[in-house]
Amino acid sequence: MSTDGTTDARAGGDPLIEFRHVTRRFSSGRGSAVTAVDDVSFTVDKGEVYGVIGFSGAGKSTLIRLINGLERPTSGIITVLGHEVSGLSESKLRHVRSRIGMVFQQFNLFQSRNVAGNVAYPLRVAGWGKADRERRVHELLEFVGLADKAKAFPEQLSGGQKQRVGIARALAVKPDVLLADESTSALDPSTTGEVLRLLRRANEELGITIVAITHEMEVIRSIADRVAVMDKGKIIEEGRVYDIFSNPRDDGEVTFVGSALKDRPTPEDIGRIRQHTTGRLVTVSLKDSSAVGSVLGRAAEHGVAFEIVHGGMNTTKNASFGLLTLALEGEHHAVQRFVETMKAATPVQEVRDGEEVPR
Amino acid sequence: MIDTYRNLDWDYYGPELFDALGETIQMVVFAFAISAWIGLTLGLLLYTTRAGGLLANAPVFWTVNFLVNTIRPIPFIILIAALQPVTISMLGTGIGNTAVIHAMVWASSFGIARIVEQNLVTIDPGVIEAARAMGASRTRIIFTVILPEAFGPLILGFTFVIIAMIDMSALAGIVGGGGLGNFAIVEGYQRFRPEVTWLAVAAVIVMVHLLQILGNLAARKVLRR
Repeated sequence: MSTDGTTDARAGGDPLIEFRHVTRRFSSGRGSAVTAVDDVSFTVDKGEVYGVIGFSGAGKSTLIRLINGLERPTSGIITVLGHEVSGLSESKLRHVRSRIGMVFQQFNLFQSRNVAGNVAYPLRVAGWGKADRERRVHELLEFVGLADKAKAFPEQLSGGQKQRVGIARALAVKPDVLLADESTSALDPSTTGEVLRLLRRANEELGITIVAITHEMEVIRSIADRVAVMDKGKIIEEGRVYDIFSNPRDDGEVTFVGSALKDRPTPEDIGRIRQHTTGRLVTVSLKDSSAVGSVLGRAAEHGVAFEIVHGGMNTTKNASFGLLTLALEGEHHAVQRFVETMKAATPVQEVRDGEEVPR
Repeated sequence: MIDTYRNLDWDYYGPELFDALGETIQMVVFAFAISAWIGLTLGLLLYTTRAGGLLANAPVFWTVNFLVNTIRPIPFIILIAALQPVTISMLGTGIGNTAVIHAMVWASSFGIARIVEQNLVTIDPGVIEAARAMGASRTRIIFTVILPEAFGPLILGFTFVIIAMIDMSALAGIVGGGGLGNFAIVEGYQRFRPEVTWLAVAAVIVMVHLLQILGNLAARKVLRR
């Protein structure tokens, strides 16, 4: 299946999900059309967490609904779990859907059923017997930590609890894929962490492949292995989360990564820093592999004194990186030699008064 | 006033009122037992066949919508008269309580259709999407998601319809039917005995209050608030 060479090399088998030149256009009367998804191609491999990030209106919701056939493509081919879902009828799709769980931004719990009833619903759809259903519901509620809420109704739960019920329901029939549609966007920061940890456990302990769409960088950073940045219906950047965070490239994405990374001083920060130092200001990249610390340790040997005036670290699922802003004081040539030494170890950028630090 | 009722010939009016009440209940129960199903089906059709609905189908939607809009606004007294040929061909007679029940079924079915539709559109489309995402069939979604999710409001809607049907049944006298309406007009109004009319009024009021209380209790239980 991976004949066009776009498949990520680290996965052994066929991709679980494959989009080939998929477009979804909505006609909105009076002849005008909106292209929600525009010639998108990507693959998701078994066992990975694939994040899609973008501003609202970027087409993420449509994209994720194309995977389980809630939306149909205008053109292009979508293969999920070996089935070409773009060509299946609504009734044939049901079989594929039963292997894909979905979690929603607004939880979408059945108000007419209690927690246990909500979790049992997909099991009923899949034709499980009563005893099996009860055992599985109990198991799932244990997994999400809500065993004591089985008889509660949705309106009696907090947002985080509702989403945990949503996750238990999505995991009920042991799906191969979990689709997370802005699963934490309606939650406050502390419950967001709770739900993200749960998604991560579903991925790590149950081996479920997850596709998560979000506008929150936090979500991508804490659970995704790979990320696609979506803007105006197109995927404008795709790669491993660490790479895309530490080396942002394209315009649409800079604003996104920038919104999440508070690691470089703003012009206002620089103005404030200038009140305390006259030294040369530089930013130094920190990565797991760079040995910035040992270079800084030898500053005195160069006759240079340094002060850390700004900095920020960011952590992804499996790596961290950041940026330090230093004020260097000393004889002009000594400072220059010291900067050259640092440049040998890690990228260094000049900080100019009143200007943004470029990425 | 009280004397008036004290002097009322209860041996005559008591059984008469009781019979009239029985006939009203009979007409409403029979008509509702039929129209509830027709109305529910039509309402579900309106809701599911609309654009973006589960069974989106423009021709079906527009046909049902047109039928509902055509029949529902006809004043009931005119509908009874207008339906005469249909009533006679279906039941062999155009008069009596059965003829009234027939007209009530027509009027209330289309009324219920609209009320069902109005209650169903308030369902969060997200829960239907969730059920679709789980692989539930459309039939299953209708019976296990759409109807249960709207059950509370539907109870209130049906209570409203039953009360409207008591109103309809009061016109039965027009085609020789009985019931409280006929009792009030024939025994009270036409014999210049307003206190007899008020007996019928009181019976209707008690009936409506009881129904509304029952409806509210049931809806409250289903909605858990």
